[in-house]
Amino acid sequence: MPVRRLSEFVQALRGAGLRISPDEASQGMDAAALVGYQGRQRFHDALAMTLVKREDDRPAFEETFARFFAVTPGAAAATSNNSAMPEPVEEAGEAGESSQGDDGLAGDDDLTAQTPAELEQRLAEAAAQMDFTQMEVITQQGLYTRRLLMNMGMGAVDDRILQLDQGDAPRQARAEALRQWRREVREQAAGHVRRQFLLHGAGKGRALREQTMRAVPFRHLREFQEVKTLVRRMARRLASLHQRRMKKSRRGMLDARRTLVAGIRHDGVPARLHWRQRPVQKSRVMVICDVSSSVSDAARFLLQFLYAMNDVLPRVRSFAFASRFDEISEDFQRYSPDVAVGRVLDRLSGSGTDYGEMFADFWRRCERELDSHTTVIILGDARNNNLPEGAEVLQQIRRRVKQVWWLNPEARSRWNSGDAVMDRYLPHCRLARQCASLDDLERIVDSLLKGLN
Amino acid sequence: MKTRIDSVEDIIRSFSEQGYICSERIALAVYLAAQLHKPVLVEGPPGVGKTELAKAAAAFLEAPLIRLQCYEGLDESRALYEWKYGKQLLYTQLLRDKLGGMLADTDSLEASMDRLGDLGEAFYSETFLEPRPLLHALRSEEPAVLLIDEIDKADQEFEAFLLELLSDFQISIPELGTVKARHQPLVLLTSNDQRELSDALKRRCLHLYIPYPEAELEANIVAARVPDLDARLREQLVAFIQYLREQDMKKLPAISETLDWARALVLLHADSLEQELVADTLNLVLKTEQDVTLARELLPAWLRKLGKR
Repeated sequence: MPVRRLSEFVQALRGAGLRISPDEASQGMDAAALVGYQGRQRFHDALAMTLVKREDDRPAFEETFARFFAVTPGAAAATSNNSAMPEPVEEAGEAGESSQGDDGLAGDDDLTAQTPAELEQRLAEAAAQMDFTQMEVITQQGLYTRRLLMNMGMGAVDDRILQLDQGDAPRQARAEALRQWRREVREQAAGHVRRQFLLHGAGKGRALREQTMRAVPFRHLREFQEVKTLVRRMARRLASLHQRRMKKSRRGMLDARRTLVAGIRHDGVPARLHWRQRPVQKSRVMVICDVSSSVSDAARFLLQFLYAMNDVLPRVRSFAFASRFDEISEDFQRYSPDVAVGRVLDRLSGSGTDYGEMFADFWRRCERELDSHTTVIILGDARNNNLPEGAEVLQQIRRRVKQVWWLNPEARSRWNSGDAVMDRYLPHCRLARQCASLDDLERIVDSLLKGLN
Repeated sequence: MKTRIDSVEDIIRSFSEQGYICSERIALAVYLAAQLHKPVLVEGPPGVGKTELAKAAAAFLEAPLIRLQCYEGLDESRALYEWKYGKQLLYTQLLRDKLGGMLADTDSLEASMDRLGDLGEAFYSETFLEPRPLLHALRSEEPAVLLIDEIDKADQEFEAFLLELLSDFQISIPELGTVKARHQPLVLLTSNDQRELSDALKRRCLHLYIPYPEAELEANIVAARVPDLDARLREQLVAFIQYLREQDMKKLPAISETLDWARALVLLHADSLEQELVADTLNLVLKTEQDVTLARELLPAWLRKLGKR
């Protein structure tokens, strides 16, 4: 059943994070059928060519391939007579030694009389009747192992052990031997299930984890190891989405003058149309991040996100402030985002944010560069420690730039609680949103890019 | 065009007869593409023989090679077809009197319009159609090999426009209708990864990544292309190039550069890689000033290390 094996393989690849369309899957099967299953390398190459379309995915493919089509001597011997199709992982486990010791029991039961290779075949057949692709969480492994053993006909062995236990000493010794043998077979089955879980279930688990990661507040995100990859992937997706839009906006209106001039040599007939090229807008983004303890988590991800999108947002300048205010663009250009965030925090951290002072400082530094193509994004909780708000400076800034956005990591209901003075700043912001999770962040950056192009 | 390809080995043999030495993977890609009628997207660093592959495939299949070089701003009129405006205008000028005569006996404006309407078809017909590479490939009398070179340099719109061609081997021309391929061409697309291609395009293609060759393969390539080079020197040369590729260079040397260098060494009657000789000919291999300076500095150390290996 090569087709089923291959489609399981495709599912396993999807679980490992590859995006494979049904069409590609069927191409893969065609290709595999064409090259045959004899040459392992060629079989591998044919699948790689049809299923892996970006080099980043190659490691995941190699790993899954190795795991799925692992060659073991036992399996090869067992299957060589009927087909050379690479079998899903079969391990010639300790069952070999164990069943040799069972010679005395040979007559007792059909299952125990089998050679290791036969036993393995039996296991594979039993496994083939089950659908492992539905496994989702790690705790399901026990259940699947039990089901697999039942499918192999282990029930009869269990009964036999019970029966032998009732009898005299030699019979009880045989029961003990059988029990030992059963343990080993169970281990073998459990191993099989574990591998199936790694192939299928782990992928689903990851999807689940990813969903969680997108939704939890930033401060819990440190606990997830894969968050960096996720941020990068989200950024890449957004970037490629907006790249297209950038190009499209380059098409302009009909340039009547050039069209007429070009038509002169055709006796005034406008044979070829000329288009007026709209100059590409050079939008600039300036980000001001509060990096005091309460907001620094959100700042970390916002900056990571923005700098991961360098292709579509080439002109980002970033500033950070806590107790002090400073430009941090260079840290991000020189170092990877993690390192840069660490450096910035070391340099500027502290408490006692003063928004009024920060606006004044920003105005002093950047007044000359603020123009109608600039978007200013402020990330902060607007907790001003009861100092002067400096809302009038923000108004000044707003008048000079295209737009001011305010991202607040706190829920909207708390925007004015305590020493927070969000309502003083709100009138000067074109947009103010809560930004507490990766999902929020993605939405915000998406609409930012839409607005820019 | 050859209709039957016996095996992958067949391709490898034919390619090597033409002097194109390739790994089994590359031959397998051509084999699958021809058998499954799917386009192949060939990616890899510049200079590893992506374009050569198309030429070799065309020679192997005994098919004409039609090449479309992509660049920013490439559009349908230059890739697919164009109306010969000049010719159309010339014809109307020449036929002006004739047209006047034809329309003379009509009494109303509507009647003249009708008559002109019938003529309109004549002006948008094959006579005035200037086929460009893609249309050539579709209408070719015998199946062709179509090379769409450096697709990553073309705009995203063009990529989208190609999708119809790549999946159904047909293309819609508003004035003429849908043009279906007479014979399905073997399509090869190459990309230097200057920008990420769309998923839709990748989905329709087989994917082949050609990396820099392994030492053994590279030695075979040099042996096939520059047979005059002494075998021992060839080993040294390939080892040196392979070592260079592990260094932190701005532009890594590709196969074409290895071959250039090998040819130069033959011309200079060199018999081993001496430090002075390497320093003098380095600019054949390294193409930026920065790399050359760096390499000159580190050369003695490199050669010593290679000697030890």
